[in-house]
Amino acid sequence: MKRFAWGSVAKVLWQELAATAALLLGVSLVVFVILYLAPGDPFAALLGGRSLSGAERDAAFEALGIPKTWYGQYLAWVGNVLHGDFGISTRSGQPVTAELLSGGANTLFLTLGSLVVTLGVAIPMAAYAAIRPTSWFARSSTVLVYVVSALPTFWLGYMLIYFFTRKLGLFPILSGTDESQEHSWLYALLPVFLLGLGNGALSEIVRYLREEIARVMGEEYVRTARAKGASLWRHAYKEALLLPVSQIIAAKMPFVLGGAIIVEQVFNWPGLGRVAWQAAQDRDYPVIMAITLLAAIVVRLGSFLHRTVYVAVNPRASHQ
Amino acid sequence: MKMNYRQEVDTVNEYSQLSAWKSARLGDRLSVIYGLIVVLVVVVSYVLGAFKWLPHDPEAMDLDAMMAGPLTDGYLLGTDYMGRDILTRLILGIQAYFLPGLLAVGIALGLGSLLGVLAGYRGGRAETAVTYFSNLIDSLPRMVLMLLVIAAFRPNIYTIMIVFAITTAPTVGMLVKGKVMMLKERNFIESAVALGLSPAAIIFKHILWYNCRALLLIQATIGMAEAVLLETSLSYLGFGVQEPTPSWGNMVQAGANYLMQGNFWPSTAPAIAIIFTVLGFHLLGDGLNNIFEWKQSR
Repeated sequence: MKRFAWGSVAKVLWQELAATAALLLGVSLVVFVILYLAPGDPFAALLGGRSLSGAERDAAFEALGIPKTWYGQYLAWVGNVLHGDFGISTRSGQPVTAELLSGGANTLFLTLGSLVVTLGVAIPMAAYAAIRPTSWFARSSTVLVYVVSALPTFWLGYMLIYFFTRKLGLFPILSGTDESQEHSWLYALLPVFLLGLGNGALSEIVRYLREEIARVMGEEYVRTARAKGASLWRHAYKEALLLPVSQIIAAKMPFVLGGAIIVEQVFNWPGLGRVAWQAAQDRDYPVIMAITLLAAIVVRLGSFLHRTVYVAVNPRASHQ
Repeated sequence: MKMNYRQEVDTVNEYSQLSAWKSARLGDRLSVIYGLIVVLVVVVSYVLGAFKWLPHDPEAMDLDAMMAGPLTDGYLLGTDYMGRDILTRLILGIQAYFLPGLLAVGIALGLGSLLGVLAGYRGGRAETAVTYFSNLIDSLPRMVLMLLVIAAFRPNIYTIMIVFAITTAPTVGMLVKGKVMMLKERNFIESAVALGLSPAAIIFKHILWYNCRALLLIQATIGMAEAVLLETSLSYLGFGVQEPTPSWGNMVQAGANYLMQGNFWPSTAPAIAIIFTVLGFHLLGDGLNNIFEWKQSR
């Protein structure tokens, strides 16, 4: 028996890849148009607020090699981005790409770690509630998860900091200091858990997983497998676990990235969320453009992953 | 077979709403009741704030009673780090999101219905375009897009909420689309077409009003919860409502400076307000969804 149909996967993935490219192109256009329409002129800001007359401006653009039309500027920007060049931060004067790389690793750790936490909590909870829907655990966990999802991330973050640093004295107060402190790696777990549990989507995720698992457990092929004493896990894991989990990762990626902005702010976490916040504060266009594009790429990757799993598990999807 | 017949009746019968309520689970009914209470409290507080019927002046500082706990003399919910009445500021904080949120929800539902009907009823190229638009919006994390818009326009809360509405509309649109595609196959729409009813009457009356209003109401409550979270988050980040005008978000932020000294209350009181409100809107939406939508689709 073939576990996964890789041949049909490749075919569908090419289509998906094309769709992803089309979407990212659209995203880049949206990002560019929003900033193009913005009042104020970054060029004037560069000159310390002095505005140039039309002819002087054209001459300056000519000398610097900046295209004059909006689509010329757009194409130049996309061309540079495709070469990995996101321009130069107007705040720090450093290339944006370098800033993205250092912050990106921290944010990646935070977001992927939080996904692990979310799923690590949600899967067992949902599975138990699906198998024993009337148990007290299933009922109380539904209520608990609702309340957790309504907690504002920023406030919960302060509470965690207070209890773990002040009351329990487990972690150092400041992160990102040069001297290595005892337990400082533990401190990194706090924001990961905060984002994993307090991103506001936990109740939706648990409910979705529970319904999916309960549905699959009622399917006839699962009943047959149970009746003949075959391994339930082997027959049901694809539909009851793999598919819904990849669906959740794809659908909740934007939430996690958005939540990371807040969590990084609370914890002074040196990631892209803080960089984005600073860029919004300073109207640092190259940086915020790059981060928005990067976020969109990550979201599309999550969606791509889900499609891969979907087609691999369900080869019929490739014959549409 | 009997079940099928009942479902058929449910979706067209005007009394179906009542019977669905009677046959609903206790948990769903409690959720809806709790949600309605929250909505009532929010609306009443909004009116109180709009007419300035407040227990105290929101910016008057009582230097003798700074960071007083709840139930202190004269201050029902205590005071913040500048000695300002927390209850008053909580009531006024509703001004920050209530009208902008309603506006956002209205636009999102209108635009979403339009997109959904366009994709579901027309199909073809319109559907491709709407799906592309929906995927495009879904690719941009809302918070990141907000920071981009803030960097570009320095917008006020109404502009922010319009952007929020545009990002929410595709979600509503996709749900409406699914509903429309399902309804299009049904006999009563086919007979309406055969009877020569105008497309406007079919779409607005028979599809949107008779069959999508529950769905739209549910989306409205969920949208309101998200609007509260968005406004408070942005105010927390310093991009929304600015001190001394109160918002639940900037109240948490301002109070947090004193949290490390063990003064929980000034930042916890607005947090509790956020929790109860968001929970209320979510439970109302999910409760209504379980009662009116989920049963039908089974």
